[in-house]
Amino acid sequence: MVDSKKNEFRKRDVFYLAPLWLLSLIAPDPYLYHKKEFKKKDLFYLGAICLAPLIWFDPHFHHLMVLAGIYAILALGLSLFMGYAGQISLGHAAFFGIGAYTTAILTTRYALPTFVAFWASAVSAAVIAYFIGRPILKLKGYFLALATLGFGEIFLVIVRESTDLTGGVIGIFGIPWFSVMGFSFDTYLKQYYLTWGVLIGLFIFSKNLVRSKVGRALLAVAASEDAASSVGINVPRIKLEIFVLGAAFAGVAGSLFACVMSIANPEAFSLGLTVPIVMMVILGGMGNLYGPIAGAILLTWLMDVLSRYQEYSLPIYGVILILLLIFFPDGIGTRLNVRVIYLIGYWAKKKKRDEGKL
Amino acid sequence: MDFWTYLPQLFSSGITIGAIYALVALGFVTISRASQIINFAQGEFVMLGGVITFFFLKEVNLPYPLAALIAILIVALIGFVMHLSVVYPLRKASIVILLMATLGASIFLSSTSGLIFGTLPKALPPFSGEQPLQLWGVFVLPQSIWVLLSTFILLIFLYLLSHRTLLGKAMEASSTDPLGADLLGISRNLMVFLAFGVSAGVGAFAGILITPIFFTSYSSGTLLGLKGFIAAVLGGWGKNSGAILGGFVLGIVESLSLAFIPSGYKDAVAFIILLLILYFRPKGILGSPFIDSRRW
Repeated sequence: MVDSKKNEFRKRDVFYLAPLWLLSLIAPDPYLYHKKEFKKKDLFYLGAICLAPLIWFDPHFHHLMVLAGIYAILALGLSLFMGYAGQISLGHAAFFGIGAYTTAILTTRYALPTFVAFWASAVSAAVIAYFIGRPILKLKGYFLALATLGFGEIFLVIVRESTDLTGGVIGIFGIPWFSVMGFSFDTYLKQYYLTWGVLIGLFIFSKNLVRSKVGRALLAVAASEDAASSVGINVPRIKLEIFVLGAAFAGVAGSLFACVMSIANPEAFSLGLTVPIVMMVILGGMGNLYGPIAGAILLTWLMDVLSRYQEYSLPIYGVILILLLIFFPDGIGTRLNVRVIYLIGYWAKKKKRDEGKL
Repeated sequence: MDFWTYLPQLFSSGITIGAIYALVALGFVTISRASQIINFAQGEFVMLGGVITFFFLKEVNLPYPLAALIAILIVALIGFVMHLSVVYPLRKASIVILLMATLGASIFLSSTSGLIFGTLPKALPPFSGEQPLQLWGVFVLPQSIWVLLSTFILLIFLYLLSHRTLLGKAMEASSTDPLGADLLGISRNLMVFLAFGVSAGVGAFAGILITPIFFTSYSSGTLLGLKGFIAAVLGGWGKNSGAILGGFVLGIVESLSLAFIPSGYKDAVAFIILLLILYFRPKGILGSPFIDSRRW
C-alpha cells in the first residue's frame, strides 16, 4: 500500500520536471551559475536581444525596449549597490537626472558632440556621488534610504529653481540625437541597438566585477560589516566605490535618456522614477545581475500597459506593486523552481485530499 | 521692509507649521515605538484627513465637528486596513521591502484620493474667524491659535495613552523588547495594528488643522510626510518629546530661512537639515533610545 503510493508520487514527479526544465532554459537562476547551461543561456539571451526588434517590427515596441534598456542600465548600477553591497539608495533618480542634465546642457548650450557629453555625464554623476557618498554612507538601513531620498529632493529643488542653467520646471528641449563620428542614431531601431549595446557592455563589466576580489568583498560587506572589516576589507571605501560606480551607470543612463527623448525636465527624475527603479532591483532578485534587466523590461511593459487606463493607472500601479512585494519579496526569478514545485505539489495534494474526504 | 521687523511674523508662522510637523512626526514615532517600521504613507493620512473633512463639509453638508470626527475615524480605519493588507503580510520581510510597500501604499492612497475627491487643491474654512489678531505687534491668524491649542490637547491625550494606560505600556514593551513582550503574552501584531490606527488618526487630525491655512491637494501628502519624518529624526528618533521638539525646530528654521533665501528653495532647507543632523548627530537633539552606538 505504502509502496504503491510512493511509486505513484515518483511518476508524477517526472511530469513536474518537464515544465521546470523548460523554465530553467529561460528563468535566470543564481544558484545555477557554476553549471554549463549558463553559457548556453547567455547566448540565448544575446540572440533574443539582437533578433527581437527585427522579428517584432513595431516602432512602439522598439521605443518601449529603448526605455527598458535605459532603466535596465540604471537598475544594474543600483543592483550592485543594493543587491551586492546590501545598502539602500532612493537617490539614484537624482544621478540619472544629473547625467541627463549634463548631456542636455553641454549639447544645447555649448554645442559639444553627444559622444563627449556622454562621457562627461558619467564623470559628473560619479564626481557628485563621491562627494555625497562620503558623508552619507556612514548611515544604515532606513536612515541611509532617507538621506539619499533627501539628496534626490534637494537635486529636484535646485533644478526647478536655477532657471538660467536648467530651464526650471519646463526643462531643456531639442537635445540632438546620439551620434558617433557622423553616424546618428535617429530611429527607434538604431537607438535600441545603441542602448542594449551599452547595456551589454556594462553588464559584462559588472559580471566580471562581481566575480573579482571587489565583488567578493561586497558580498562580505552585505553579510556583516563588522566581520568584513575584521578580515581586512576597507568597508567605507568599498561602499563608496560601489556607490560611485552605480552613480556613473546612472549618469550613462541619463545621458542616453536625454539623447533618446531629446528633453530633460525635472518631473522625469522625481520620486515617481525612484520607486520603479528600486522595484526593478527587488523584483529581479537581490544579488543577481540578470534580475534587474528582466525587472526593467517587466515594469516598463507594465507601466505602458497601465498608461492606457489613464486616471486609473496610478491606483492599479500601487496595488500591483504591493501585491508583487507580498508574493515575490525576494524577486520573481529567485527560487522560481522551488515555488513551482510547491505550487504543483499543493494542487496535487489538494486533489488527493478532496478525494480522500469524499 | 527691514529684516528685523518681519522676523517675529516669520517666527509665529514657523511655530504654526512646526506644530503640524510635530503631529506628523508623532505619527511616525507611534508606529516606530510599537515596531521598527517606518510608514511612508503617513503623509497621505494627513492629506486624507483634510480632503475627507472637506468632502463631508461641502458635499454632504455635515456640521464642522461631525465632519472632522467622521474624517478622523475613516482615516484611522484606513490605517487599520493598511496594516492588515500591507504591513502584516510583510512583517518578516526586510527593510527595503517594507519601505517600498509603504511607498506603494502611498502612491495608491494619493492617486485614489485624487480620483474620488478630485485633483483640485482644497481649503477648509477656518475654525473661527478670518480676522488676524494682533498680539505684541505680530499678526496671528485665529487658526494658528487653534492649531497650537489642539496640538497641546492631543499631546496630553497621547501622553496619557502611552504612560498611564496598560495599552500604552504594552506598546512600549513590545517595542523595547519584542521577545520579552511575547513571553509576557503581549501580542506584538495587535500592538502594531493599534499603533497604525492611532498614528493614522493623529495624521488625519493634523490634516484637518492644516487645511484651513495651506491648500491641501491629493499630491501634497508625500512632502508633508517626509518633513514630519525629518522632524522626528531631528528631535531624536523614537521619542515623543523628540518628535515635538524636532517639529517646532524644523518649522521655525524653515520659516526663518525665508528671510535669507528665495522662497523656491524652502523645501530644500528641511532636507539639508536632515543631511546635517544625520552626519553630525544621528541620535537627534534629545538622543534616541533606538540608536545607541556611534556607528549604526
